[in-house]
Amino acid sequence: MVEPRSPIDDALRAAGGSIGEHAGATVVIDYGDPDEEAEAARGLGLADLSPLPRVGFRGPGAREWLTAWGVDLPDEPNRACIQPDGAIAVTRSWTEVLVLGSTQSADSLCARLEAGTSDAHRARAYSLPRFDGLFWFALTGASAADCLAKICGVDMRETAFSSGSVAQTSLARLNAVIVRVDAGATPLFHLLGDSASAEYAWASLLDAMQEFDGRPVGLRALHALAREFK
Amino acid sequence: MTRERLPHPAGSRIDRTRPVTFEFEGRDYTGYAGDTIASALAASGVWCLSRSFKLHRPRGSFGFAGDEAGSLVQLATEPNVHADTRRIEPGMRVQAQNTVGGLERDWAALLGHFERFLPVGFYYKAFYKPRGVWNWWEKIIRRTAGLGRVDRGWEPEYFDKAYAYCDVAVIGGGAAGLAAATACGAQRLDVLLVEREPELGGWLTYGRQGPGDSTLDDLRGRVQALPSVRVMTSAICTGWYGDNWLAVAQGNRLHKVRAKSVIACTGGTSQPAVFRNNDLPGIVSATAAQRLIRHHGVRPGRRAVVLAAGDEGYAAALDLAENGTDVAAVVDCRPDPPAGPMASEAEARGHRILSGHTVREAGRDPQRLQVGGALVTRVTGPGSCAADGERIDCDLLVVAVGVAPAGGLLAQAGAKFRPSAAEAVPRLASLPDHAFAAGVVAGAATVDEALAQGEQAAQAAATEIADPSPATHAIPEVRDSNESAPFWPVFPHPEGHEFVDLDEDVTVREIEDALAEGYEDIELLKRYSTVGMGPSQGRLSAIATAAVTAAARDTTSAEVGATTRRPPAAPTRFGLFAGRGFQPVRHTPMHRWHVGAGAQMMTAGLWMRPAFYGRPDDRADAIADEVLAVRRAVGLIDVSTLGGFDIRGPDALEFLERAYTPSFRRLRVGRARYALLTDEQGVVVDDGVAARLRPDHFYVTASTSGAEQLYPLLLWYQAQWQLDVDIADVTPAYGAINIAGPKARRVLEKLGTDIDCSPEACPYLAARTGTLAGVDVRLLRIGFVGELGYEIHPPASQSLGLWEALIDAGREYGIRPFGVEAQRVLRLEKGHVIVTQDTDGLTHPHEVDLGWALGRRKPFFVGKRSIEILRDKGLARRLVGYAVPDRNAPVPEEGHLVVRGGEITGRVTSSAWSPVLDQAIGLAYVAPEQAEVGSIIAIKAAGGRLIEAEVARLPFYDPDNTRQAM
Repeated sequence: MVEPRSPIDDALRAAGGSIGEHAGATVVIDYGDPDEEAEAARGLGLADLSPLPRVGFRGPGAREWLTAWGVDLPDEPNRACIQPDGAIAVTRSWTEVLVLGSTQSADSLCARLEAGTSDAHRARAYSLPRFDGLFWFALTGASAADCLAKICGVDMRETAFSSGSVAQTSLARLNAVIVRVDAGATPLFHLLGDSASAEYAWASLLDAMQEFDGRPVGLRALHALAREFK
Repeated sequence: MTRERLPHPAGSRIDRTRPVTFEFEGRDYTGYAGDTIASALAASGVWCLSRSFKLHRPRGSFGFAGDEAGSLVQLATEPNVHADTRRIEPGMRVQAQNTVGGLERDWAALLGHFERFLPVGFYYKAFYKPRGVWNWWEKIIRRTAGLGRVDRGWEPEYFDKAYAYCDVAVIGGGAAGLAAATACGAQRLDVLLVEREPELGGWLTYGRQGPGDSTLDDLRGRVQALPSVRVMTSAICTGWYGDNWLAVAQGNRLHKVRAKSVIACTGGTSQPAVFRNNDLPGIVSATAAQRLIRHHGVRPGRRAVVLAAGDEGYAAALDLAENGTDVAAVVDCRPDPPAGPMASEAEARGHRILSGHTVREAGRDPQRLQVGGALVTRVTGPGSCAADGERIDCDLLVVAVGVAPAGGLLAQAGAKFRPSAAEAVPRLASLPDHAFAAGVVAGAATVDEALAQGEQAAQAAATEIADPSPATHAIPEVRDSNESAPFWPVFPHPEGHEFVDLDEDVTVREIEDALAEGYEDIELLKRYSTVGMGPSQGRLSAIATAAVTAAARDTTSAEVGATTRRPPAAPTRFGLFAGRGFQPVRHTPMHRWHVGAGAQMMTAGLWMRPAFYGRPDDRADAIADEVLAVRRAVGLIDVSTLGGFDIRGPDALEFLERAYTPSFRRLRVGRARYALLTDEQGVVVDDGVAARLRPDHFYVTASTSGAEQLYPLLLWYQAQWQLDVDIADVTPAYGAINIAGPKARRVLEKLGTDIDCSPEACPYLAARTGTLAGVDVRLLRIGFVGELGYEIHPPASQSLGLWEALIDAGREYGIRPFGVEAQRVLRLEKGHVIVTQDTDGLTHPHEVDLGWALGRRKPFFVGKRSIEILRDKGLARRLVGYAVPDRNAPVPEEGHLVVRGGEITGRVTSSAWSPVLDQAIGLAYVAPEQAEVGSIIAIKAAGGRLIEAEVARLPFYDPDNTRQAM
């Protein structure tokens, strides 16, 4: 069986990432110090969520088809909406939606939607291979917006880019989708871009994070944030 | 150290508990933490910091604000440091610049004796006659050009960039800036206050305030209490670009600021007066003297003459007198100066005031490199004064003849400054959209005026942000000044050395000579005379230049105009521009595997690809072995860099019919076809394979180099055609592995697949979807390298796993990975062209024998009409295969010319040694009449050697295509 791997699998392992399973996906659970990582996630932490499910649909029938399948969609482009299972629906345009699987629980929505891609095709809601085409990182913490200001031209501060906002922009000169869905009071940005440039993006982010004492964190740190939020 | 030090409270920026010893010109000096290099030296009685650029005259700082070349010094690892703004550090080694033999005895000062041979524009007139002499001069000029010395052993520092955002950017943290920031902050606007000095306050930190003036602490306190105001100190705004994009340099970071509105409170620059020897160290502006006193606790001199043309000169005189300097005289250019508050106070205190007088010339102290006295004479008219007068000994000559608005940034943004007809000092005349100004730059003459203007600008900015539709262009109202001199103080001297521009050693006479030669336009005058081209960029010379020009042309400064102001507005280190750039790199899913397997990686656009596997020394053998492995057994290559597009929808077929040259109407589901793309001029721009996966779903590949440009091109077509189709770039979502060789099928079958790979079920050009080793794949049976081959497109996340599985499964069949170099040889043996290598910006399909790929019966495809016209015109060249019969001849190189006698008829586009054919083969453009198989062509190789080659039938290898169809 050939398991899916994160596009930065080697870098994560080299950094001491402890690989484990979350809801069927192989992800970095932590880097050996969960408490410190939970603290970092409040300050500035970077997690690789690439192994978690995500799927995209585009086409004139995309909104209608997704709505029929029970996806709660934002009313306008470039907004994000949390689904009952914790997944996030992101409208990239009037005719394109990106669905990020839940980071907290076993994914149900993405799997369901993927199973229906043939039906979607008939409805002119064409599936897009976002799981393989886009890396998925999460940048968390109070310094996240300041850190992003070093590599992205969009104002990511809460006053200009509140939770639920979406930007399709350039991140260290890579085309990227940035989705802000805060974990309570802690800013949390989902960063998605060309999976072929994942290593480059990861390294660029770590470089930008240095002055804020940021560090890579595992999924466990994100769960800790979510628990605090709840 | 303490010889010229003043007691507390003078010296707000120094810490007297922390002495700092540093070196200047090989001697140790001690100042205090917080001192600048220049202030610490001034405290020790040293005023000369450098030698001038052309004549090597002794120079110091005039403004003590980091403006002029005179204060530039050399540090151990950094040239061109402004000594009047750089703080001292323990052990700092400082040297004067532009000297030969040291500051005290600069041998190059002998140039001054040859000054008459160095007239304005001399470098345009000399050095090139007689013929060939330039080669001799060039070496000397290159040795003397430039300032400072680059440390070649310098360790790179980390510079970076960051964006910043705000509603209002306030540039300048003086009185006006503080008032503006406070007023904006009070309205809860997001404010960024940028101040170039290490503390807020501007003039308030060093100027002499009247009894009723607002206090600095109060203003600072109000700003700091506002949470929505962010303060950046020691930060210089160097550029103001379109849409209020501001470049702000702070430390090793360039901030790229986006502001909805900008309020410029950039203050002003105290101007020099123009008289003989006005460049001597110890001649300083009034603000410089006050900075030395209040910031650094330095008594600027023991005996001073103050040259004034306004109240600020009297303020300086009062400050000097109160701090122990004997003010010998206040020399006022104005015949009947109005009684300003400072002038009145000076008069009341009994200062000697010489109205209607000027300094005709300064004299040098015979013992030291600084001013020693002033010849004060009566003003006889605009620009003229009596030859004889009173000689006053002094070691300090303070100049306070006027302040120019520091409008460089505003001018960059599009603001206009214009002097009134009677004045020399420019005034703000217009503002661009979303820009405001307050303070001295906008004409404020007092602190109260600056504060009021700051608040007004803030109000205007807030109003505009609330409703941005009608842009506001409020120019602060400025009362007409009745205090300034009726003319700008420029006093030409028969013996010269009245410098208009201290940076470039440009005198009044040189300006006049340039004008006499016809360089009357201010921009031409600048370039010809170099006035305004030094580090101060005209901040200290523009007014005097305009005044001299106006006088010579019998016009006004307003008519003369000003030169264009361009960024950067302040000297900026290259590191800030160069630092932390971003250059994305793309890795295939198998990248790490390749590196681990010893691949030599090469770039292909943004991608990294294995060129071959093995040591660089073994390159030729490694490539040959890889080629032979594919021909004899099986090899696999990572082709994930190929572009991939899913084209889906009811009009998917129609889209392909229009965009690509072949017809796909008869392409059945499960089949693939070569797809050639031309532009509207009929030029070949890319190629790939189109596989029909469903009736309304095509998977189209593109070349590695073309994919990135192709996607926007396809979207552009769709934007015009408005078909019912979706085009998705799935390049990074799929890896791609080409497994090729006579044993390729066996490897797939061993690995386990639900795709029937038999020749009958999966013939050449079949396109299948299914699983391989449990991985969902798209499988195309195509043969770029001319062997039985399968292009496997698995999801990117499983590509590495599948690659490893293929390697494992193929081990018993002798599988080996091959790189781009082997692939080039293999495809060349097969005669396939590589678009962009074998084609250029003019190549049309018939030239490269791709006429078969054109859907001639189609009513339309992009480029069809052009291709038909080009075909009917007749070919001008053809791409042919060639082989070199002489196996001992050198292998031609790509780019080598094909020649016929003295005529160039073409060039080699691809060339390689074929290990299978055991000879050099290649592709080359030739004249049509040379394209017959068997024709002999001559290839001009390195050194002019002619290599004979024979035009060959393509493909070189397996002409019946039996191997790829097996």
